[in-house]
Amino acid sequence: MNKLRALFHPIIIFVGVQIAWIILMAVWINWYIKNSRKFQEFAQKFRPDLFADEFNWLILLEGCFLMLIILAGVYMIFVYWNKQANLNRLQSNFVSSVSHELKSPLASIQLYLETMKYQEVSKTDREDFVETMLTDTERLSGLIENILASSKFEPGRMQLQVQPVEMEEFIREVAEGLKRQFEERKCQVNLELEPGLALLLDKRAMRMVFNNLIRNTLRYSPIGAPLTIRMRKGKKYCEIDFIDQGIGLEKKDQKKIFKKFYRVQNPDTQNIEGAGLGLFISKEIIRNHKGQIRVASEGRGKGSTFTVALPLGKLKNPGSPSEQGVR
Amino acid sequence: MGQSKKILVVEDETHLAKGLKFNLEREGYEVTVAGDGEAALEQLKDREFDLVILDLMLPKMGGIEVAKKIRETNIRFPILMLSAKSTEQDRAAGLAVGADDYLAKPFHLPELLLRVKGILRRWEWYKQPVQDQETFRFGDKWINFGTGKAKGCAGEFYLTAKEALVMKLLIQKKGNVVTREELLEKVWGYDPETETRTVDNFIARLRKYFEKKPQKPSYILTVREKGYQFEPEPSE
Repeated sequence: MNKLRALFHPIIIFVGVQIAWIILMAVWINWYIKNSRKFQEFAQKFRPDLFADEFNWLILLEGCFLMLIILAGVYMIFVYWNKQANLNRLQSNFVSSVSHELKSPLASIQLYLETMKYQEVSKTDREDFVETMLTDTERLSGLIENILASSKFEPGRMQLQVQPVEMEEFIREVAEGLKRQFEERKCQVNLELEPGLALLLDKRAMRMVFNNLIRNTLRYSPIGAPLTIRMRKGKKYCEIDFIDQGIGLEKKDQKKIFKKFYRVQNPDTQNIEGAGLGLFISKEIIRNHKGQIRVASEGRGKGSTFTVALPLGKLKNPGSPSEQGVR
Repeated sequence: MGQSKKILVVEDETHLAKGLKFNLEREGYEVTVAGDGEAALEQLKDREFDLVILDLMLPKMGGIEVAKKIRETNIRFPILMLSAKSTEQDRAAGLAVGADDYLAKPFHLPELLLRVKGILRRWEWYKQPVQDQETFRFGDKWINFGTGKAKGCAGEFYLTAKEALVMKLLIQKKGNVVTREELLEKVWGYDPETETRTVDNFIARLRKYFEKKPQKPSYILTVREKGYQFEPEPSE
């Protein structure tokens, strides 16, 4: 039964159609060349005006053209089938990754709630459990935000609410919000931030970008590996580097990781959580801020540096929040 | 009961690992946590444990790989798999590599603790030697319950963990009837998804290994409407 199903696989059918088409084309040319003379002689007996004396290339080419159209049709069907199959595969991977991503923090929350229900828990432990659960709810809400945001990034759909943001303060605030995660991963964070830089940003969207980048660093680095966040002012851009000592990236993956649902496939990372959305969303948000995001890594095991470059622009009224749509 | 039993929790989610450790320690177990598959195997090499609670999605080496490695050297060591994957196929894959039980996340704490207790109880029972020695002989056949190795009609082979458990129970009560319910309780721990028919399938498999004529068994006998009985010295 499986063999029969494999026989009807679209790729097999596509190859079959190609072979059939080549054979048909060869037969057609061969038949026409062999028989055109006889055909002409036969026709001349009845309608001599229909045929010229010389070999009629037009009919041969018409036949070839018709067959080419059939081939193009089959090719188009195959291309679209292939795209659909890829989308189905990505969607299925996505559902599987997301369900895992949702279940892990949920399992943790349920475990702590039931612990408090069924066990006698001291005040210190209770406070610790509540903090842990809050971190899990943040993780859940981060994932839900990512899923919702990923559906918005179609051309022309993103609306940013920009305001002047004091960058040093903002990055410190983001890092402070992830303090517990840093502690759990025993990660030393070094902040090297140039003071006095203010940019026009959608603060909520940019927080999502920084959170995604920092969480990725924590996921893909061994426990105890440090993280450096460095911000410097360039000519046109403010560049923020996230430098980690994690598992790094091979050259071939460095561009692909920003694609929607893409996840690096290798034994080291196959069991690391993730939905393949964080970097895609980050890239879209940065692009909508007219900025750039890139990654540099010397290869597997050598860490990586994610750089976010945001345009410096001109602040009309620094200090007073203004709402403006950037597209 | 349950005092000083050693449990290895293999879980990369630090929150879950911490919560599991807290609860299991409250139940009187000694708990060690490993954050990835390789660390788990290191721990198992260095120390003795009574149970491993194993997450499926682990960095470096996945739970399935870890379970396979454990089974390479120990046929019966208790493994409770914990995973966010909850489909029938995931569960079957977990049990196929030799997990004793499979619990999908999110799980209920009392259920987890009951399953841990059940597995440890079965492990205690399994560890009791048959006739003061690990190898039990009947006719020209034998079973080593320590390694799971056996000699049947077709030569030497390895029993799976559950096959070994069924044989052990039948042999421990040789000459007496073992009901299907007892087999279910001791071997499968009354997993709600196990049917009594599963026991019959296992018996059919074991007869193929040890009986010359599986249709007319002489060692593993059926006692109508009751269960099964092991006869070490058949009259034939």
